[in-house]
Amino acid sequence: MSTNEKLSGGGRTGRDWTKHIIILAILALELLPFYMMMQISVKDNAGFLQNTWLPSAPSTWVWQNYVFAFQIIFPYVANTVVVAVTATAVGLLFALLGSYFFARYQMPYSGFFWYAFLLLMLMPGVANIVPLFALLKSLSLLNTLWALIILGIAGSQVFAIYVLRNFIEDIPKDLFEAAEIDGATHFQQLINVVIPLSGPIIGTLAILMFLGSWNDFLMPLIVLRDPELFTIGVGLIYLDGEYVKQWGQIMAAFFVASLPLIIIFLFCMKLFVRGLSSGAVKG
Amino acid sequence: MVTKVYGRKALLEWKLYLFLIPSLLMVGVFSYFPTVSAVYHSFFRWSGGDAKEFVGFDNFRDVLGDQVFWSSFVVIAILVVANLFKMIPSILIAVLIHRLKSDRWQYWYRVLLVVPMIVPGLVTLFIWKFFFDPNFGLLNAALDTLGIKTLLVHLDQLCGWNVFHAGMPISWLGEPSLIVPALILWGFPWIGAVGVLIFLAGLQSIGSEIYEAAELDGVTAFQKFLHIEFPLLMTQIRLNLVLMVIGTLQGFGLMLLLLGDNGGPGGRGMVPGLWMFNRAFTAGEFGYACALGLVLFVFILALTLINNKFVRVDK
Repeated sequence: MSTNEKLSGGGRTGRDWTKHIIILAILALELLPFYMMMQISVKDNAGFLQNTWLPSAPSTWVWQNYVFAFQIIFPYVANTVVVAVTATAVGLLFALLGSYFFARYQMPYSGFFWYAFLLLMLMPGVANIVPLFALLKSLSLLNTLWALIILGIAGSQVFAIYVLRNFIEDIPKDLFEAAEIDGATHFQQLINVVIPLSGPIIGTLAILMFLGSWNDFLMPLIVLRDPELFTIGVGLIYLDGEYVKQWGQIMAAFFVASLPLIIIFLFCMKLFVRGLSSGAVKG
Repeated sequence: MVTKVYGRKALLEWKLYLFLIPSLLMVGVFSYFPTVSAVYHSFFRWSGGDAKEFVGFDNFRDVLGDQVFWSSFVVIAILVVANLFKMIPSILIAVLIHRLKSDRWQYWYRVLLVVPMIVPGLVTLFIWKFFFDPNFGLLNAALDTLGIKTLLVHLDQLCGWNVFHAGMPISWLGEPSLIVPALILWGFPWIGAVGVLIFLAGLQSIGSEIYEAAELDGVTAFQKFLHIEFPLLMTQIRLNLVLMVIGTLQGFGLMLLLLGDNGGPGGRGMVPGLWMFNRAFTAGEFGYACALGLVLFVFILALTLINNKFVRVDK
């Protein structure tokens, strides 16, 4: 990718400062919500009304906002982590197994199954919500985190299998044959040949699946009733309804809710940016 | 390519089918079954429980006469057109980043673009709800400071909208005629990180020699965009367009959280998906909601098929 960038990149001559100014201006507007969240999160309402736009002096920061936010949000974050991590891990495992089936051999009926998967990419999910609710009800999965985990796994299969199949097909056949001569079963081939070779693509898919699970609020809103089970999605909706007046506390809560993703982002920024780029290309 | 396997060999490799079972089961139970169930239940009067009553095509007849449903399509049509224009800033910023000389700056701008994505979508949504707040909100504060408010008040007096008044805060989500404008304004400056990254990927295929040739000919910046970048971006723009139209037609989370399940004051923010949600979970008319969902489904599917026919999205 980096060689590509070296070759392209238009406008090799001339100065770029006007472009920098326009880009920075647009980015500043785009990041404004983020900035406002951070600076309001350490103000109380009086401080916020006096001084809306600028950060306040560090000596006046109201840390109680964060004490409050942690108490309220932490259980929600814990629930969301459980759901997102489990859904991503199991979803990836299932997708790897499924894509291995499609990529290794063309078995009888595999074409039929493939189109059954592809058809789902065309189908809009909006009509499913109502019967899905009834289905979860009859499986007594309503008001459980299991429902969200299972829906996360099911929802990610098609895209993940689509991407992984193309990737596994590009692995040289010799590697599989060599493993087979050594007596490796298909599952061992998956573990020892496919997984070591597809680290980046698995990482990318993991990030996309994790983000999808993390950002979901519609299903949690429909499924969860117990406040102890709330994920960030529902938790924030109730918080927004309940504590309308204390903007500082609300913003601190928003920041705490973003914290896990920010930490992940700091650790694997490259994978994030590249993953979103390639995920974007595949659409 | 993939080796084909027939007969005896296939029987020997039967264990491979086990690999497919988990995914197939998941997709079958939680994607295919609900779709079939939606078709089935759209012929019933059903409130989500065991009791249901067969009503034939009554639900669909009701959908045809459903004023709220069809007027919600007007809102969606306006939003689709607005979203079309909202793609412009993303294209602009992608082209600008691409034209930068420094690869390192290109990388850092890309990182900055992705930063809004690590804030959960819900948080962004609530921060925007706070921006719209009539008394504390930043939008009104900004409009006051920049003098746009005065302009709007004058325009109001000229055109007789009776919406903007001097000395009164603008109630973005409380005034029926301002709801659609607020939904359009939402997310300003409308940079979609994924969209920009798609455009940047498309621009990468432009070699520097093309730019050099253009510069020798004394081409202006805008002509460069028109003749070099725009044609190459067409595939990506079409792909984005397809995703945007389908996403807009399906989407109702924004309206649900900003306005509630009634679509806000006067129901002016009602969109088809929200009406389906409202019928199911507020009115308890699950059968009717299934019928609404199916009609919407047919619309989106038709659009998708038309798209696939006319717009070939290359892998």
